[in-house]
This record gives sequence, structure tokens and C-alpha cells, in this order.
Amino acid sequence: MASTSIETTSSFSSQTTATERRGIPGAQFVEDVQTYLSQLGLDVNSALAFLQERLQQYKLVEMKLLAQQRDLQAKIPDIEKCLDVVATLQAKKGTGEDLVADFEVSEGIYSRARIQDTDSVCLWLGANVMLEYSYEEATSLLQKNLDNAKASLEVLIADLQFLRDQVTITQVTIARVYNWDVHQRRVRQATTVAKDS
Amino acid sequence: MQQEQGGKSDTQVTWEDQQNINKFGRLNNRFHELEDEIKIAKETNENLEDAGNELILTDEDIVRFQIGEVFAHVPKEEVETRIEEMKEVTSKKLEKLEEEKESIVAQMAELKKILYGKFKDSINLEED
Repeated sequence: MASTSIETTSSFSSQTTATERRGIPGAQFVEDVQTYLSQLGLDVNSALAFLQERLQQYKLVEMKLLAQQRDLQAKIPDIEKCLDVVATLQAKKGTGEDLVADFEVSEGIYSRARIQDTDSVCLWLGANVMLEYSYEEATSLLQKNLDNAKASLEVLIADLQFLRDQVTITQVTIARVYNWDVHQRRVRQATTVAKDS
Repeated sequence: MQQEQGGKSDTQVTWEDQQNINKFGRLNNRFHELEDEIKIAKETNENLEDAGNELILTDEDIVRFQIGEVFAHVPKEEVETRIEEMKEVTSKKLEKLEEEKESIVAQMAELKKILYGKFKDSINLEED
């Protein structure tokens, strides 16, 4: 799978292209603005417009990924809390005592529960489904979910980093194309003045 | 957000420069994330401290300790032990975060030196 790890490859190709990553197109790094523009076959304004549009697309994807990241970051503490509860129940099991707990019935209203020695817990799986598991099964299921969530988060963070790099490259390219254009105009103006005088 | 702006100079931007700029951007993002995380960790630490202090003051034997979404009735000593453990975990985490932050600040200073050295006024790496 093409992953863009940044290594110094400047000796290989004159225009190091970052391959795309999970649907995000890589921004082409420009060695020389002149060659870049002639390669694209666009004039300066069209090139700038194209780059600006690319930037907007990147921003959109960034928002989406950030939202996903927030969701995952909220889910992980939830799963950890569940694991905590199951572990506590399991620990209590040995002692034979009942676990007394206060739980929220509604906002600000709590009720007391006496949890006797049991061997199983019920886990809410979503979509109005709840299943009963033994302590060990519940722990392993929750642990697996936690590991998956953490792994997804890592991939997501790597995606975001890649995306931000492409945004930076595009911003720098826009600045350089614009400066090149300004430079060209100045040169042209200078030669016209020289011709006229 | 720190921006790179081209100035009037015609300094060529090499792939290595671009990579440095990218790296700087990444470090800067991570720096801000770390600042937030450190703030949260410090708050958690304070809360645990307060909880520990309250515990010493109370004369009840059974304390309602939050586990997940419920408050379990737990004997005072066990709660003390738990709070101590949680404080340990949070302090270690805070230490690690501070270390990472220092390393990032150092790396960013290095990169600033390199990039300002090459681009001088053409690049702006400050917070606005």
C-alpha cells in the first residue's frame, strides 16, 4: 500500500509526487515554477485557481476527518469505563459480598442498586441489542473494541498528518506561483521600459 | 496558525525545504494538541488531590466512588488506594506530555533557525 513516508528522495526525480493516501490525492511538489506551469499547460491565473480549489477540497476532507477523530476520542474513554466496571464486578465476585451502587435514573435523581454475585454481565451492542456475556467474554469483547478504536484513531491521525502536509505544500506552491508571476511582470516591465527608452 | 508567505525574494524552494516546512507544521499542530492535553491532565490531577483531601476530612466509612457511570459503595481505605493509583497514573502521563512538549519546542527552534536562515523574510513562522 502506498504510504507517504517522508524520506529524502530529491535525488530520484525532479518532481517528487506524493502518491494518494486513502482517497486523498497527494499534492505535487514543484521544483521549478516555470516547468510546472508549462507542464500543466495553464497560465498563472488558471493554475492559481486550480490550486485554490485543491486547497478547498483538502479543507473539506480535513473537517470530516477531524469530526471522525472527535467521535473516536469520545468512544475510547467510554469503553475504558465499561472495562473498569466489569473488572470491579469480577473482583467483587470472589468476596461473596453484594455490590451496592447508586446509579442515575434521570437527571439529578439517583437510585440504589444491590448487585449480587453473578457470573455474567449484559453489554449494549447498539441498535437496540443487548447481549449477556460471562465476565471473561465481556472483558475480551470490550478489550477488542478498545484496541480496534485505538488502532483506527492512529490511522486517522496519520491520515490527518498526511493531509496537513498536502495543504502546506499546496499553500507554498500557491505563494511561489504568485511570486513567480509578480517577478515575471516586473521583468517584462523592465524590458519594456528599456525598449522604449 | 503559523503561515508561510512568499516574499519578494527568488529563493528556490527545494523538496528538502518543503519537508522542513511540513515538519514544522506538524510539530506546531502537535504542540497545540499537547498544550490542551497537559491542561486536562493538570485539571485531573487537581481533582484527584481535592478528592483525596475530602476523603481525609470525611468521617464516613463507606464512600460512593464513581466507577463508569455508577457510584459504587466502597470502603474508605479502598477508595484511598484507588485515588493514589489514579494520581500515580496521571502524574506519569503529565510528565510524559511535558517531556514531549519540550522536545517539540526544541525541534521547532532548530527548524526555525534552518528555515529563517535560508528564507529570511520570505517566510513567517510565528503565531499570529
